[in-house]
Parts: sequence; structure tokens; C-alpha cells
Amino acid sequence: MTTSQGQMRETYPVEGEVYRYRADENDGSFTFGLEGGEAGALDAAITLTIESGQAGEGLCRTASGRSLPFAWAWVGPELHLWLDGTLFVFQRAETRRRGASAATEAPGDILAPMPGAVLEVLVAEGDRVERNQTVALMESMKMELVITAPRAGVVRRVSVEPGQQVDRGMRLLELGPESDSEGGG
Amino acid sequence: MFSKVLVANRGEIAVRINQTLRAMGIAPVAVYSEADAGSPHVSTAKRAVSLSGNTAEETYLNIDRIVRAARDCGADAVHPGYGFLSENPAFARACSEAGITFIGPTPESMAQLGDKLRSKDIAQRAGVPVVPGSAECLPGDPAAAEFADRWGFPLLVKAAAGGGGRGMRVVDRPERLDADMELASREAQAAFGDGRVFLERYIANPRHVEIQVLADGNGHMIHLGERECSIQRRHQKIIEETPSPALTPELRERMGTAAVAVAREAGYVNAGTVEFLLDLPAGEFYFLEMNARLQVEHPVTEAVLGLDMVEWQMRIANGEPLTLQQEDIQPRGHSIECRIYAEDPYHDFVPSTGPLLRWRPPSGPGLRLDSGVAEGHEVSIYYDPMLAKLVAWASDRDLSLRRMDVALSQFLVLGVITNITLLRAVLGHAQFQRGEYDTGFLEWNPAVTRPAITDEHRVITRALAAWVSQQPVGPASPATSSGRPDSANPWQTAGQWRLP
Repeated sequence: MTTSQGQMRETYPVEGEVYRYRADENDGSFTFGLEGGEAGALDAAITLTIESGQAGEGLCRTASGRSLPFAWAWVGPELHLWLDGTLFVFQRAETRRRGASAATEAPGDILAPMPGAVLEVLVAEGDRVERNQTVALMESMKMELVITAPRAGVVRRVSVEPGQQVDRGMRLLELGPESDSEGGG
Repeated sequence: MFSKVLVANRGEIAVRINQTLRAMGIAPVAVYSEADAGSPHVSTAKRAVSLSGNTAEETYLNIDRIVRAARDCGADAVHPGYGFLSENPAFARACSEAGITFIGPTPESMAQLGDKLRSKDIAQRAGVPVVPGSAECLPGDPAAAEFADRWGFPLLVKAAAGGGGRGMRVVDRPERLDADMELASREAQAAFGDGRVFLERYIANPRHVEIQVLADGNGHMIHLGERECSIQRRHQKIIEETPSPALTPELRERMGTAAVAVAREAGYVNAGTVEFLLDLPAGEFYFLEMNARLQVEHPVTEAVLGLDMVEWQMRIANGEPLTLQQEDIQPRGHSIECRIYAEDPYHDFVPSTGPLLRWRPPSGPGLRLDSGVAEGHEVSIYYDPMLAKLVAWASDRDLSLRRMDVALSQFLVLGVITNITLLRAVLGHAQFQRGEYDTGFLEWNPAVTRPAITDEHRVITRALAAWVSQQPVGPASPATSSGRPDSANPWQTAGQWRLP
């Protein structure tokens, strides 16, 4: 018998929690012990027969005899796993990269929600903005996206200009608190 | 017939047009941006001309460059596909000035139909009902306030030059009127270079039903029945079907006749589509617009009629008579199309970009795939996120929906997130299955845009993810996955995590 264990994190379609697993292999049949999920709601033990002839693809059979095709690919640190028509994304918990934005993200940052081009910046440094006020327009793949302020405040810094290409998670604007008057002078 | 035709487009529609051209013995010429080098629309053409740059403006919207390419390669006609320059009268004119046939209507009818205000006039002259609307007006215009007083809120601001939901906003209260008109106008200015807007009565959750029309150069016109396009997100269609579950033979007849009347009034030639809003409870329909081009969802019409729309476009552009009569149009069975988008249906439909590590579409009886991508290709930020269209046909609607659902469940895509699970959730919804839906379907059924995963499924995927994470990394790129001599069970070789 071969045993392995580790930790994984679900990230899509549900941004889930870290879970621990222990897997025991016996002749192509795997018994998994899983721990994690909302208050242990998904603690489970499950036995699967896994066949993987072709790289990146396989067939898994449940104890009740259901047969589910699956396939996978690593996209950077992300494991994209397709199971019988549905896509899931996982990361190894110990190697989980904080989102590209997380390293630079400060509470007042307004970030690009997708990669694309900045069409227009509708505010200037020092401007007061209301909650939900449109502060910029972006375009990606023919689609226009309205960027709004998550709260009221004063624009501390504009980090992009019209026409600029941005990556997902890149800072567009920095928003200071409402009482922030340093930009007013 | 033409001998060489430049296809001024990319993606699935360019591939689809190439296929018909080749079957007709015509040599297709592709144009392509840097990001699209090696795309299926290039490899399925007989010849290809590179357009330097990547943005749509530099490439597929660049009239001078495309007309020059057509002239240089000796093309005798240009097919514009849909989107990009397909409804741009200046492009059609530039083609004819260069002595090249534009596959589509005349620049004049294109110009009047492309303007929402002028096209509404045409419909009214043809005796077809239109949604009550204002004339062109500016933010702060007394005419705008007057219109709002008469019809109340919510109402719609629309761009005269609009399309695809751009420059369109629902105004829900008087205080927002000026601001929303301003925004719509700015959006329209940015998207179409034309900021004119007008107001329209808002029809809550109508059905969106359109009629396909064919017209030859001698004034002979017929309609090819309807397409039901009410399943939409962000005002863009994602599922279309024909016949529409909403139409009675009597209503179909009335809408078909109205569509032909509009086309006739517009002096229309070639394939076009008249879009209607259908207020089913009231039994009323209203002219919305006429699209002067091939429509994305034309394959469902082809499936039930057994004809090739692009072939007819070519023949009509070549001056041949339309030999079909209205009574020849007898649809058989049911057809449905699902648009496969690279976007995340659970996070506001944000586009997803990246390499297509796996792309394995399904096949089977009654299935058709129109695809513009291939495994290993990069889905870039520059263009529309639609990757492909999957079309199913069957003898009845129930079977056609089942065929589609099975096919979608087998559609393997890795590398980008797609809307496939959302499409399946719609297909599985009881209301959709009964054919009782309108353009508000996704809004009224928010559960469809939330992931629905059983605990059992979740446990299995968690276990599988654990198993995969212990496999040697390598099969990520398709380049290494083919012919990789790796059938050994990796569990027997990965001894480093063997426990005592």
C-alpha cells in the first residue's frame, strides 16, 4: 500500500477552504480521507478507482459504479480539473500564490477586474467621489466595463492613463478616506 | 461566379465562410492580425495576408489596409462576416470603388438601417409597429423630459448608431435621466464615433424573436422563418433556437410578412435579419432593428431548412436570381445553438484569457461545431470572447435539447474558463424546457448564474485534485501531451512521499 498526504485549496467555481487529504492506494483503487470545508461539512472518506492511460486525462469510478471522465492541466500554480462537464480549479495549499494583486493591494486601491485597455479615467487626483460613482471605463474583448468607487472618498492617485493596457488586478486608482484633504491644495 | 474572395473577418465566422467558398470552388483569402497568425481562419484559407498590429482598429477595422489587401491579391469580392466592418457603409463603398464586389446590401441601405432612428422610420413606412420613441435628443433637452412625462419610468436611452447593447441604458427614475443620457452618449461616441441618443419606451422582459430574410437583386424576397434569441447576458445572445416555442403559425406568418415588408421598404438585397421585440402576453410585436449582414446564429436556420446561407449570399452577390419561393420554406425539426464564450459566468461574465491547453469539442448525430480556435492557441484580450458555436438539430425540440446537453457535457476545455456550465444550467431549467422564457431569464433565475455542485461531486473532485497534485507535472502543454511515453502508474514511481 502507498500512502500520500497533503493540503489543497479550492478556488473555482467556489472559492473554498483549504482541505487536508490522505490517500491510500491499493491496486489502482484509492481511498481518500478528506478533512476541511465549512465546519467539517465536507469531511469524507471516498474510494475511487482511477485509470489514467493518456497523460492529463483519465476515468474515475465510484464505489457505486458511476464512471466519470476527467482531465486536467496546470495553468501556472493552478490545477484546472475538468470532471464530467464541469471545471474546477485548485491550488496546492502550501504553494498558494496570493493573487497577483494581493502583494500590492492596499485597502484604498481600485483594481482592474480583468485584463484589457483603459478607455477613460473620469476623475483626477484630489477629486471627491461618491460611493458607486463611475471613475473609469475599461474595455476588454469588445466589452465595456464601468469601474465604480467602492465607497466615498478622495482620489489620491491615478495610476493609469487612457489607452493603457492593464492586467487583471493592476491598480487603476488609489482612493483615500473622505476626510483626506491632501489632494485639495 | 467569383474566383477569389477576401474574408474580412476572423474566428469562427471566417472559418465557416472559408468552408463554403472552398466547396463552391472559390479561393478564400484570409487577413490576420499578429495575434491570429496560425489561427484556423488562416489555415482554412487558400491564401493569407498579414495585417500588422493587434488591436481591432489596426487590423480588422482598418478599411484602407483591407481594401489594399483585397486589391493586391486580386480578389474579386469581399465577404465581411458579422461584426467588424460588416455593417460599415464606408467599407462597402471603398470596396466598390476599388472594383471589388461587397457581399451584402448596398452602402445606402446599410447606412439607413444602421441608424436606429432612420430604420424605425423605414419600418413605420412599411406599416410595421415600432416601439414608441423620441426623436434624437440631448441631455437636458425639454423633449426628453416631455417624452419621459408621457411614458413614465423606467425608459431606455439608446444610441442612434448603437448595437450589441452598447450605448444603451435603462433609466429607472427621473433624477437619473440626464446622467444616463450623458453616459450613453459618451459610450456611443467612444464605440461608434457618433454620440447621438434618443429615448424609447421600456418594454419589460419581451421575447427577442428575429426573422431571416433573403432578397435578390431583382426585388424577389422571402423570409426563412424565425430564430428565438431571448436567452441573453449583458444584452448579448447566448442561446438561440428555431422554431421559437412562442410562435403560433398565425404569429409566424404575420412577423414573416412584416419582415419582408421592412426589407422591401429598405430596398434590401442579400441576407438580412429583422429583429422584433415580442410582447407575448399582449400578442404584440415591435420592429427593433434590421441587421444588414449574416447573423451569428444563422446555423439554426440552415439546420432546419437544409440550406447554406453563405452560398446564397454569394449567388445573390453574383447577380443570380433567388430561385426559392416562400412556399419552398418548410422547416424540418428543431435546432438550437449555444455560444461558447471564454468568460466566467459566476463572476459577472468577466472574460477569461490564456492558452487553450485542451480543446476537445464533442461530435455526434445532429451536431455542428463552428469554431475559430484550436488547441494550443492563446485566447487574447483583443477580440470578442466567443470561441465557438455548438449547434444541435433533431426531429423535435425535446431531443434537440437533450443532444445539446450531452454534447456540452462532453466538451472538454482547459486553460480558460468558459460558460459551458451556465449553458447547461439553462438547458436543464424547467422553464426553459417548457419554452416559457424571455430576455429577463437570467435575471429572474439568479440560481443559474451560481455554481450548482452537489456535495458528492465536490468530494470526488477534491479527491481527484489530491491525486492529480501527486502526479509528475508535465502534461500541461499540449505540445508535450502527444506521444508522451507515459503510461506507467506514477503512484509506483513517486516514492518520495511514501509513508512508513
